[in-house]
Amino acid sequence: MPWSEILAQPLARRLGLLVLRRGSSGAFLLILAVLAVTAPNFLSPGNIANVFAQSAILGILAFGLTCVVIGGGSNVVAGGLDLSLAANLGLCAAVYSSLNNAGFDTVQAIGLTLLCGLAVGALNGFTVVVLRLPPLLATLASMNLIAGLELVLTQNSVLPTDSALLDTLAMGEWLQVPALAWMLLAVALLLGLLIQHSPYGLRLYAVGEYPEAARAAGLRVGLYVFSSYLIAGLCAGVAAFCSAAYFSGSTTGSGDMLLSVVAIAFLGVVFSRRLVANIPGTLLATLLLGFLINGFQLLNIASFWVNGVQGVLILLVVAMSSALRKEEGGL
Amino acid sequence: MTAPALHLQGISKRFGVTRALDEVDLRVERGSIHGLVGENGAGKSTLIKVLAGIHRADSGTLAIDGQVLRGFGPRQIEALGVHFIHQERLLPGSFTVGEALFFCHELRYGPFLRRRAQDREAARLLREYFALEFPPGALVSELDSAQRQILQITRALLAKPKILVFDEPSVSLVKREVDQLLAIIRGLRDQGLTIVYISHYLQEIESLCDRVTVLRNGRTVAVVDPRSTSTAQVARLMVNRDVGEMYPKTVVTPGEVVLQLKGLGAGLAYRDINLSLRRGEVVGLTGLVGSGAKELLKSLFGLVQPERGSVHLHGQVTRFKSPRDAVRKGIALVPEERRIHGVAPLLSVLENLTLAGLSRFTRACLLNAADEARESDRLIAELGIKTAGHDTAVRHLSGGNQQKVALGKWLGRDCTVYLLDEPSVGIDIGAKVEIYRLISRLARQGAAVLVLSSDLPELIGISDRILVMHRGALAAEFDAGQVDSDRLLACATGAHEGTAPGLCPVRETQHALV
Amino acid sequence: MTTLAATAVSRPLLSRLLRGILPLLIVAIVAFFSVAAPGFLSLGNLSSLVLNNFVLLAIVAIGMTWAVAAGGIDLSVGTAVDFASLAFVVLLNGGYGLVVAIPGALVAGALVGSFNAGLIAGLGITPFLATLGTLFIGTSVQQLLSDGGQPIYIAQPVLPGLTAVTWLGMPLPLWLVLAVATVYGVILARGRLGREILAVGTQVQLARYSGLSIRQISLKVFIASALACAVAGIVLSSTVNAYVPMSGNAFLINAIGAVFMGTTLSRTGRANIPGTLLGVLFINVIANGLLLIGWNFYWQQVATGGLILLVLAFSFASRRQSPSY
Repeated sequence: MPWSEILAQPLARRLGLLVLRRGSSGAFLLILAVLAVTAPNFLSPGNIANVFAQSAILGILAFGLTCVVIGGGSNVVAGGLDLSLAANLGLCAAVYSSLNNAGFDTVQAIGLTLLCGLAVGALNGFTVVVLRLPPLLATLASMNLIAGLELVLTQNSVLPTDSALLDTLAMGEWLQVPALAWMLLAVALLLGLLIQHSPYGLRLYAVGEYPEAARAAGLRVGLYVFSSYLIAGLCAGVAAFCSAAYFSGSTTGSGDMLLSVVAIAFLGVVFSRRLVANIPGTLLATLLLGFLINGFQLLNIASFWVNGVQGVLILLVVAMSSALRKEEGGL
Repeated sequence: MTAPALHLQGISKRFGVTRALDEVDLRVERGSIHGLVGENGAGKSTLIKVLAGIHRADSGTLAIDGQVLRGFGPRQIEALGVHFIHQERLLPGSFTVGEALFFCHELRYGPFLRRRAQDREAARLLREYFALEFPPGALVSELDSAQRQILQITRALLAKPKILVFDEPSVSLVKREVDQLLAIIRGLRDQGLTIVYISHYLQEIESLCDRVTVLRNGRTVAVVDPRSTSTAQVARLMVNRDVGEMYPKTVVTPGEVVLQLKGLGAGLAYRDINLSLRRGEVVGLTGLVGSGAKELLKSLFGLVQPERGSVHLHGQVTRFKSPRDAVRKGIALVPEERRIHGVAPLLSVLENLTLAGLSRFTRACLLNAADEARESDRLIAELGIKTAGHDTAVRHLSGGNQQKVALGKWLGRDCTVYLLDEPSVGIDIGAKVEIYRLISRLARQGAAVLVLSSDLPELIGISDRILVMHRGALAAEFDAGQVDSDRLLACATGAHEGTAPGLCPVRETQHALV
Repeated sequence: MTTLAATAVSRPLLSRLLRGILPLLIVAIVAFFSVAAPGFLSLGNLSSLVLNNFVLLAIVAIGMTWAVAAGGIDLSVGTAVDFASLAFVVLLNGGYGLVVAIPGALVAGALVGSFNAGLIAGLGITPFLATLGTLFIGTSVQQLLSDGGQPIYIAQPVLPGLTAVTWLGMPLPLWLVLAVATVYGVILARGRLGREILAVGTQVQLARYSGLSIRQISLKVFIASALACAVAGIVLSSTVNAYVPMSGNAFLINAIGAVFMGTTLSRTGRANIPGTLLGVLFINVIANGLLLIGWNFYWQQVATGGLILLVLAFSFASRRQSPSY
């Protein structure tokens, strides 16, 4: 839509635009305020630290997805997407538990687990960059493959395990903040610096948004997309440790997290002026969801509602941002 | 004599069976502005892609400052000081001016970006080079096309280039912006840069270039000095065919009024539009960017909703709620963005031609394939669409033939009003004439045709009368037989009101071949 | 692009070979299993293969084919299956006969489809995210209705083996697949709606500028997709004699895989019903064959995932090769 058409719109619509812009942060604050008033102990430092810790697994996975979406563009069908993240976490957790139980030493077990996550990322990167499959299909297929591998490894059962690392992650505290919360913040900080404040991140945005421009500037576009899948794989590996710590081993059904991860990464988009996926936005979306679930628990609302609320949230946010985009021109 | 700054010799490049470049030579002297002209498909863009290292030539050599290069990619070319200003503004829309300017040469603090410094430095450079101020923190998507163009030039200048290649830089600029661009380019030459300037607007070439290489069908046909060669001669070299019978206009007596607008207005875009279209009439419409002409045309196809006034179709008050509604009421639009709105490149000629009138081929929800084939073969023959058959994908057709498909899909519907938005942009001269013939035939068959164009000679050549819009209002109406480009332009810029044109003139009579 | 197209001109043979890879693979795999697994070609095995696995996935994948052909995707196929199944079971348990239960189930499915269609056509949300939202909400609703996922069994034996009925020697469910496939296939390939779906799926802006109603088309597509799923839901609950919450999601991934495998078979790389059915057959034959040669369920999943990835890779490789469509 050219500027003249925007100007041609009545004041009310321009006002609506402003409301839409501020709406997402406003809604977040509103939800927090309502929960703070209604749910007992909601604002206690212990509870807040708890929410951070419980959000760690989902959040770290969502960071990985955010990187992929940035590098591949935000078109969900043709753009960047990694549906294998949750399955990758499951496999990594299973690999770590097996290695740990088989008596590998700490460094080896950790190294091999992260390597497993990276390998899955590399497989996705290969199918997307070299074979040029649409990411949606490529990662859907690899998700199936990886979930199968996890089943083979665990025979569809829980593999309990215990190690000093997991103990530290599960029980450790520093400044009265649990270790898992620190993990979430640390990964957010690292990726935030990499994606939002380094030339690499800027170039990744360019690759995702306008690959021709990136190519014309001499960037090797494929390499950047590939690297974003590697980051996602690594995130799955890191999240696997958090999951293993949280559940004292590998669990089944980690694939169920996938849709929440997708929801969070796309929710994060609205927390940015440019309406693009970004790490701080994803962190906010993770916490929003974490606070919601926590508030529901405190209010004794059945957990069955959580999915529905997530669904409504995605739809609301996406409808809002697509309206915003329509107002601002382009499709 | 010193070695030329840039010397391409005997460059050949094949794509399958088509020979895109055939022994092309291009010799550019240091410190000069060298023009490269040719029709669409003459091989200009292929040559530039070879130079940029995007395509590899099948044979031939490239020398920069006398040094022959073998096996080079975009990076090496850039390292040698050759930079490109592309036709599409290759800048990501969500980047700030600073980010876009320093993209890939970011200012850093250790491993991190210095965003503030970049924005500050960008503002300083733009002020220094072009005396321009962009709003602080502006995103690329918020800039207009001229500003983006300048951003790209600044970006190229940052790398301290020796040779700058401009690939059709003026396509989406208006006259004032073009003049500004040309002045900037002259300034760059005077600082010692070597410039290659590609355009099919011969007036730009004439006023700017020191030498001109003319390409035709993938060959170098001439190297001329524009000061001693007229644009008409250059045009003849480009097409090598007689372009005399350009505007086949037959005289038609207009019939009854088909479409009438009374006091139509939409927001700030346009207001108080009164106009009527008669059967058998070709009406031209023109106006500057922002004059409201484009929005008016869109309103007639249900893409923009007018807020005031009324639309009368065959004497009845009506409203076009959506494109679908407009199509049902007998309106046809041949849009400006041909490959997005006009044809589907991936679909076949048949699928494109029948799309707007599927109901004619439908029996009990199913399409009659034989009817469809017969009808599209008829249209292909009638419009002279050059295609291997109706199953060929439209992307294999040339621009002119694609435009015929975009027009042809409406022919089976018996539309009463045809809206044509810049119908001849980006198609070569031969196809243009055929499109003009079609327009004239539509009118002869009793349709009302409204042509929006910024190519004023074209408008004068094909229309019966011409409406000029200025700042959202109809400024004047002319009989096409009694007006020239200068008067139309004066009217469109508001010059006759004695006001300084705040908006810029439409691209005026720049086209070479008129 | 020009370079890619150009190199392909000289290699029509290769591209044709690649296009034929899926039928060839199926033949090869069937041959392999009939040698390696003695019982594979037996009538009993084949009919159980077709009845137990093929029917449901095929019907869901047919619905998905329309969504993909229109340039979208339907992640909520499982929700439509479940809701139809729920309505079917609840109505039967409420004492209504099949005459009420079957239309009721179809309506329930269509409601899910309308919800999607409203989000996509009304609010302009991309199909991926819209159907993702529907999937979430559907899951939540089912959990609330079924107390966290408890199955509801069909109380009285009102279904004296609906699935066991045969007609002209062919079991009823197979007739159903045939009917659904014919209707959806003919409309997609030869119908006016099919051409409109193609236009919307290929270039939505052109469709709009040609006077098509994008809203109406996506409305029809997503309701049709959900209706197919509702049929699958009815068959599902008559087979297992129960409504099992969230059981429909199991079809999602294989359905998408089958549809895109089917696009390989098309000269033009378009989604099409016969191709989808072949894709479904491919997935089922592998799972069944692997079972017969003694691989457990877990390895089956690995092998299926790997093979789907392989076929998709070939599919897109062949599309890039083909010079024109």
